Amino acid sequence: MNEELDSQLSAMFDDELPPAECELLARRLSRDELLKARWGRYAVVGAVIRAERGVRLNAPLAGRVSAAISVEPELAAAAVTPVQRRAGMSWWQPVAGGALAAGVAAASVLWLRAQAPLPGADFSAARAPAVMAVPVAKVSDSYVVPPTLSVRPMVAPSTELANYVVAHSMVSSPVARRNLLSSFITSEPGAEEPQEDARAHAQ
Amino acid sequence: MPGPMRSSERLAVLALGCLACGIAWADEPAQWLERMNQALTTRNYDGTFSHWHGGKVEMLRIIHRVQDGTVSERLASLDGSGREFIRTGAQLACYLPDKRTVVVEQRPLQEPLVGFPAVSEQTASFYDIREVGRTRLNRRDTHLITVTPKDEFRYGYRLWIDDKTAMPLKTQLCDAQGHVIEQIVFADLTLSSHITDAAFRPDVSTEGFQWVRDGGGPPRAPPPGTLAWGAVRLPPGFRMTVRSAQTLPGSSGPVDHLVFTDGVASVSVFVEIQRTVNATPAGVAESATLGSSSAFSTVVDGHKVTAVGEVPPATVQFIATQVKAEGPAPVGARDH
Repeated sequence: MNEELDSQLSAMFDDELPPAECELLARRLSRDELLKARWGRYAVVGAVIRAERGVRLNAPLAGRVSAAISVEPELAAAAVTPVQRRAGMSWWQPVAGGALAAGVAAASVLWLRAQAPLPGADFSAARAPAVMAVPVAKVSDSYVVPPTLSVRPMVAPSTELANYVVAHSMVSSPVARRNLLSSFITSEPGAEEPQEDARAHAQ
Repeated sequence: MPGPMRSSERLAVLALGCLACGIAWADEPAQWLERMNQALTTRNYDGTFSHWHGGKVEMLRIIHRVQDGTVSERLASLDGSGREFIRTGAQLACYLPDKRTVVVEQRPLQEPLVGFPAVSEQTASFYDIREVGRTRLNRRDTHLITVTPKDEFRYGYRLWIDDKTAMPLKTQLCDAQGHVIEQIVFADLTLSSHITDAAFRPDVSTEGFQWVRDGGGPPRAPPPGTLAWGAVRLPPGFRMTVRSAQTLPGSSGPVDHLVFTDGVASVSVFVEIQRTVNATPAGVAESATLGSSSAFSTVVDGHKVTAVGEVPPATVQFIATQVKAEGPAPVGARDH
């Protein structure tokens, strides 16, 4: 995706794109799967960031985008909410150096490690859908770190995490439950156990 | 010219129509997912499978039995930590030899043990479900069904479903780009009419283990001042299906458990009063991954809010950060 298009998309999000260009871009959004996926991705990251900063997209833009992305109405609905716009505040800002959104990046790092397929296995991505987009972490380098949020690896005692996993497994689909419990069983023993909690267990 | 159709004739036509629809629906890929869920939850089976995740492969054994309406299931590691899950009816015990701990969760009897989401027409709005071919796997005829997410809020599946039994012989969990995150392949699978009780006893000796249990019992009325929690916004297609209060093993008080699902994936949100020990500092969130599942925890109004689900990290973060107190909890037992 070229920089000009990227810039247009950004401006559209900030409602700074002239109406005529906005209309053209909206039309392109409706037929360009990659662009649509990028927009959807902005919605994910933006929603998270907005939740912390209280910034919302404005209503006119919401209407235009909703109309454009008719194929994914729910996605559009997620990206647009009532106005709480503050002049000059953009939740999406291009950053030359490629800073990461701390929250999203931290949450993504761990699972990205797991994406290497098993050598020699039938893990072809040839059936990957056309709609699919770049992973969140790959594009999050265009976002500004929210200053108030700090995300760290979870240090919950493993028994507490086990509680949550077990309770959640009760409401998961059969396949998901099997995957979840298998993952728990095969996870590194004691990886999250704080020392003081381990002492408490030993008592 | 034919006269008006009599009631019996109308019924017959309706029945034929339904039958025709049923036949057509039976070939639908979504129907294979339903059959698979049915097989996994209603059949007796004993199998060994490999679990691949993050470049690590481990062998596990699963035994599942439905007898007199009671579901028993045992999932055990064959060559790793020795951890096991053993479910008997409404009780699920998690054996953690590395922690010398057994965590036991007892679900209230009136609460459905299996509340997993069902594939519906709405599911098709967020996933592309197709049968992409029929292949042979372990000398069995299988249907290769793909469940491809249409956005990045959820993961997808590739499922090799046995033509005869509807059991998934191979399962791949994929991210939005089609990359495999996790794979399960059965090395052997036996479907039998009878499985003995002995098969559901743990291999591990629990001598000296700490047993962490919950109080069980029915959902309790929230004490005065308790808050009702909900999500301000949700990812497209997700909706709340369960809201209950329960006591988790080792927990000092009731925990609100909210469940959100899109028909395939589900996310649980647990809300409990922030404990002083190991308390998460204000403004600090925590994240973790467990295989293909993600967890994200944050603090809202003195409560710890933790979202767990088989979805991408960004999705649990999105949901956790959208959970807010909606006001005082209604007097009486919680709704489900």
